[in-house]
Order: sequence, then structure tokens, then C-alpha cells
Amino acid sequence: MFEIAVAIILGCCALGAGTAMVAGIGPGIGEGNAVAKACEAIGRQPESKGDVTTTMLMGCAIAETTGLYALVIAILLIFVAPNMFIEILKSAIG
Amino acid sequence: MIKPDKTVVKETISVALWSVIFSLIMQAIFLLIGKWDYTVLLGNLWGASVMVLNFYTMGLFVQKAVVAQEDDAKKIMKLSHMLRTLALFALIVIGVVVPWFSTLTVIISLFLSHFAILCKAYKDNFNLKKEESAQDE
Repeated sequence: MFEIAVAIILGCCALGAGTAMVAGIGPGIGEGNAVAKACEAIGRQPESKGDVTTTMLMGCAIAETTGLYALVIAILLIFVAPNMFIEILKSAIG
Repeated sequence: MIKPDKTVVKETISVALWSVIFSLIMQAIFLLIGKWDYTVLLGNLWGASVMVLNFYTMGLFVQKAVVAQEDDAKKIMKLSHMLRTLALFALIVIGVVVPWFSTLTVIISLFLSHFAILCKAYKDNFNLKKEESAQDE
């Protein structure tokens, strides 16, 4: 019974981690679109390359935050949460 | 090997400096609450270094992408995001699994560079508004 409960915990944690990483898709697409528009802007005004690059860097870094949240949640679900839940289970069984 | 642009180096140094400031504040808080030990310091160093390196790598990819064609730029950024996420995953796992690093400080440090970028953006915006008001007067 205990083994089944542990297996369910591990499986749910893995599923949760996988689902969390769906949030990683958005920043990739968003960054791609933003840089494509930046290329267009530089094509129109080549002298503004420095300013556009600076703005792009800041924008991409901020856009990436959601992906980073997802990554951290996934890592915690894989490496930290299972041990914690198993300990709770053990203490509940006694 | 891509030669880093002046803008990329400047922004990376600025983000690194802000990250150092936030790291010092975090260390001070851990000292004040009496939870400080060497794992807190190492975890902070690891997390902050990983994020500054991630920012620098992103800068190199952005530098490459802004001079490419529109479609190529999209592909470069998508590839960059995928590769950096995989590298981040591996590096954060090391930070979480190795007992020399405190998991909590590794995770907090990952967000320090984002706070740093936000602070820098607010500061730049404030300076810009100040310059504009000075010009108006």
C-alpha cells in the first residue's frame, strides 16, 4: 500500500513538473516575435541599433521571467516535493 | 565565437552590479535572522552567477539576431531560448542537489537579476523623464 502511495506521489510530481513547463513555450515565441520586430526597426533606422539592442535585452530578460518561474516550479516538484510528501506520508502512517 | 558588442557588455556589467547589491542585501537579511552559513553564501553565488551568465548568453544571441533577417531572427531566438532553458535546468539542478548550496538561496538568487533589470529600467526611465523636464524648462 505504501509503495502504491509513493508511486502516485512520484507520478503526480512528474506530471505537475511537465505541465508547469508548458509555460516555457510562451517566452520563446514572444522573444522571437520581439526580435523580429527589432530587426524591422533596425532595418528602417540603422543608426538606432544600440538603443534597440538595449531595449531588446531588457524586454527579453523580463519576458523570460515567466519561463523561469515554471522552470523553478518544475525543479522543485521533481527534486524537493517528492521527499517532502513521502515524509508527510510516513509520519501520517506512523 | 561571437565577439560581444559594447552594448551587451555594458548591460551585463550593469545587471551584475545590481545583482551584487541585491545579493549583499540578501546575505545581510540571512545574517540578521541568524540563518547564515556557508551554504547560503555559496548558493547565492551559484544562483546569481548562473543568471548573469544566462543574461550574457541571451545578449550574444540578441546581438546575432538583430542583424539577421526577420524569419532567421525568430529562429535564432527560439533556439536560444531552448538551449538556455536546458542549460539553466542543468545548472539549477546542480544547485538544488549538491549539499554545498542552500536550495532556498539558489532559487532566490535566480530572481535577483530580474529585480536588477527592473530597478535598472525604472532608474533609466526616471533619468529620461528628468532630462526631458530639464529640456522643457
